[in-house]
Amino acid sequence: MSKFSLRHMLDLFLQLMTFLFSSISFLTLGAILVFVFNQGWSLINIDLIRYPYESTTLLGEPIENQTEFCLCEPNISLGDDVFYSSKWGIGLIEGVDLLGQASIQLAYIHPNSPLASLNNKGIEGNEFVLLPEYLIQKISYNDRATSLARRGVERMINELESSNSIFEIEVITKGGGIGGSIITTLWLIGLTLLIAIPVGVGAALYLNEYAKKSQFANAIRSFIETLTGVPSIIFGLLGVAIFIPFTVALTDATGGNLISGALTLSVILLPIIIRTTEESLKVVPIDYRNASLALGASRTQTTFKVVVPNALPGILAAVLLGIGRIVGESAALIFAIGSIVRDEIRLTDKSTSLAVHIYSMMTDEPANIELSSTIAIIILGIVLVLNLLIKFISTRIMKGKIGGVI
Amino acid sequence: MKNNQAKKWIDQLVEKILFLMALLSASFIVIVVLVIIERGLSPFISDNDGLGQVNLLRFLTGIVYLDGPTFLSNAYGIGYLIISTLYIALLSLLIAMPVSIFSALFIAKIAPKFLGNTLRTITEILAAIPSIVYGLFGAGVILDLVYNLSLLVGVQSSAGFSVLSTVIVLAIMIIPTMTVIAEVAIRAVQNELIQGSLALGATPTQTNFKVVLASAKSGIFTAAILGVGRALGEATAVSLVAGSRRSGISFALFETTATLTSTMLQGMKETVGLDYTIRFSIGLVLMVIILLVNFILNFVKSKVGRVHV
Amino acid sequence: MKKIFDTQNLSLYYGKNQALKNINLTIFEKSVTALIGPSGCGKSTFLRTLNRMNDLIPDVMIQGNVWFGEISVYDKKTDVIDIRKRIGMVFQKPNPFPMSIYDNVAYGPRCQRNYGKKELDSLVKEALIKSALYEEVKDRLQKSALELSGGQQQRLCIARALAMNPEVLLMDEPTSALDPIATAKIEDLIVELKKNYTIVIVTHSMQQAARISDQTAFFLLGDLIEVEETKTFFATPKDPRSESYITGRFG
Repeated sequence: MSKFSLRHMLDLFLQLMTFLFSSISFLTLGAILVFVFNQGWSLINIDLIRYPYESTTLLGEPIENQTEFCLCEPNISLGDDVFYSSKWGIGLIEGVDLLGQASIQLAYIHPNSPLASLNNKGIEGNEFVLLPEYLIQKISYNDRATSLARRGVERMINELESSNSIFEIEVITKGGGIGGSIITTLWLIGLTLLIAIPVGVGAALYLNEYAKKSQFANAIRSFIETLTGVPSIIFGLLGVAIFIPFTVALTDATGGNLISGALTLSVILLPIIIRTTEESLKVVPIDYRNASLALGASRTQTTFKVVVPNALPGILAAVLLGIGRIVGESAALIFAIGSIVRDEIRLTDKSTSLAVHIYSMMTDEPANIELSSTIAIIILGIVLVLNLLIKFISTRIMKGKIGGVI
Repeated sequence: MKNNQAKKWIDQLVEKILFLMALLSASFIVIVVLVIIERGLSPFISDNDGLGQVNLLRFLTGIVYLDGPTFLSNAYGIGYLIISTLYIALLSLLIAMPVSIFSALFIAKIAPKFLGNTLRTITEILAAIPSIVYGLFGAGVILDLVYNLSLLVGVQSSAGFSVLSTVIVLAIMIIPTMTVIAEVAIRAVQNELIQGSLALGATPTQTNFKVVLASAKSGIFTAAILGVGRALGEATAVSLVAGSRRSGISFALFETTATLTSTMLQGMKETVGLDYTIRFSIGLVLMVIILLVNFILNFVKSKVGRVHV
Repeated sequence: MKKIFDTQNLSLYYGKNQALKNINLTIFEKSVTALIGPSGCGKSTFLRTLNRMNDLIPDVMIQGNVWFGEISVYDKKTDVIDIRKRIGMVFQKPNPFPMSIYDNVAYGPRCQRNYGKKELDSLVKEALIKSALYEEVKDRLQKSALELSGGQQQRLCIARALAMNPEVLLMDEPTSALDPIATAKIEDLIVELKKNYTIVIVTHSMQQAARISDQTAFFLLGDLIEVEETKTFFATPKDPRSESYITGRFG
């Protein structure tokens, strides 16, 4: 018996290959996570929601009845490089504008500062808030010469302290906010589920409770199943061809919009919801139905008072799967809505979901990898939570712990 | 009595409503097909606002996407895209298959229970990651890797946008799904077969490769069919790493490329008229290809699944 | 007679549960030993200790010795693959691989080394002849093994085991899943095979044990109650429990 026979070597080789190849999969996950976190972690903070996406220049003037000086000290400790005006409650620091030139950044603003919110000079009755990291381009006064950013922070603060009446401030907002995309995503989830869950659960109920094993039911099932083999970009085309004209005709929409997007997503979700719901309906024991009918309940009552409540975990799983799909979908939405990032979200107008936001940024010149990674972290977090929840529900169903709502 | 009558009436109404929902759901595939066909065929039939009909033969066999200035020409050709798409999908499958089979084998048969369960969960989570994230990873990491590789090998590459990058990203994307399916198939192999093999003096590895994989053939094939389907239909991830080739078939690994789907996405922000509608035609071709590929693979599967190793 | 297997104080534990209690049993060359007893008595477990198939079950502990000729089966230095090459096993439910008949029989040998076509052809033919299957399948060796009937599949499994040219054939209730005709064929086969092979067969049918075995071992709840020449065992069992079992009072 030779320990080093050819067979033995082959055996070892195959074992090695198995180990190597399987580690490839898991190493890639590691690589993806490392990359995404590395690039995107620095940008994670609540400001992402506060800032608009586009950086814009705003002209602000002090609000009418807010003219009292702050005369306050900062309530957090500022670094050595921050220049502070206690009269106005503003801390300024050196910064860099979008073109890379020296500018002045707002480092801190006291809540009692008369400049905390300003009137937007371009728009009637529109106020905006001064947020940290906004750039101050210039400050014009009523009682002295204008402060310009290019003359340096210290000078601007001194000039600010020496003035008692501000005429207007030119501010460049910080961009890169994803609030709009988050709201869009939430709207899409809500609308899509609103459409897809009733239709999907309804179809599953029909197939499982009323039609069962008939040839007709099987035909319907196979028609629905074929939808799963269709790539999502094709559904995008469907959205363009049918749902956009549909919504344009019925609302004040002028092109892609959230409603057409939701309708498109509903079609994508239908097979998943129907399949998952049918599975959970099958698990409900037939005895429950028989018992209900024997008590004189109608079929409808049986279905909705007995069967559906017992199938709820499965329906919940379907909902979670649907949410996951919505959050991750990109190609279909690029067609059915568009890929223009917006801060103001209207149902009848374009905007991007988080996933499409990534696409939009990555196809810009230059591609914004950092912010894309930040969004990716958010998406991954959502996907992870959803999947763990689904797993949890599935194992609970297996153990038979959920249910029994007779 | 009246109560019973009302109940009956409600029952019938509810059944009809549910029936309609089922019918509606089933009709969508038909609607999708009809819409794509109608829109997809229109460039070949209509006048396209004065640009003239698109030549079908040239469309299907042409190796230049558009001969002439955009919005002013009707000389579209996607023959080269068809070949590129199939080529890339095939390469991705070739890479992904062994990785997913070995991974599935490892999880199902070789890893100790706890490790196997953890790895299975990780794989399932990987399978749920949206394609845009894979695209981002591709654009951020794979492009650089491939670019450096091309420098190393001394071949020209356009900042990493290439066949190789696309294939790698697609492979990474389809491996988890394929692994999950293959793993289920492998786990389902009857224990008696494994015992029978071991009792004959085969090593566990021989048993795994000669008996287990042979028995799981059908499931592994299904995994491949699903994997290639995803590779053919993937859009956003590909568009971020392929480059955007407008002509010529690219077989060389470091050449830029394009697929049917990435071309459909290209220039979406400012497209009108024929340039817009032609994407439906491309989509139609894509669907036909996916159908054919599925058909062929399922046919092969039914032959192979009949057992003879 | 030469001893093929000799177990000394063999005990086996599944976790905390003792499934075999101090078994001392000798299996003799070129004979048929039947292991009988009610369900759960440990006869299958005992059978599987002989070729270390219990190794596949987690949490199993063995005490005592099993001697296979001069080799201690459970010694750390013993190569389990080697043992299994010399001992063939046939299972309760026929378990042919999803391959052709030919590939099934050739499987074991091919795992050990490469064979030339002629050599392998004759090896397969011989094994199929020995298991009384050749005439029925000689024209369809390349066809799937799964297309055979239950009885044929079981004989294929026997051929598969014989292809390794083992010294011993372990059979775990080989006919319990088969119809009476197929059972009879296999019983005839066993009687024929014992001219050249040592056979240990687990059976729940006392009639089968009486028909084909030379030595019968009666197990009960993990104990070896009695082991005796078959004729003697069934005619005049020594232990009252054996008598109870034979006369059908339990089991």
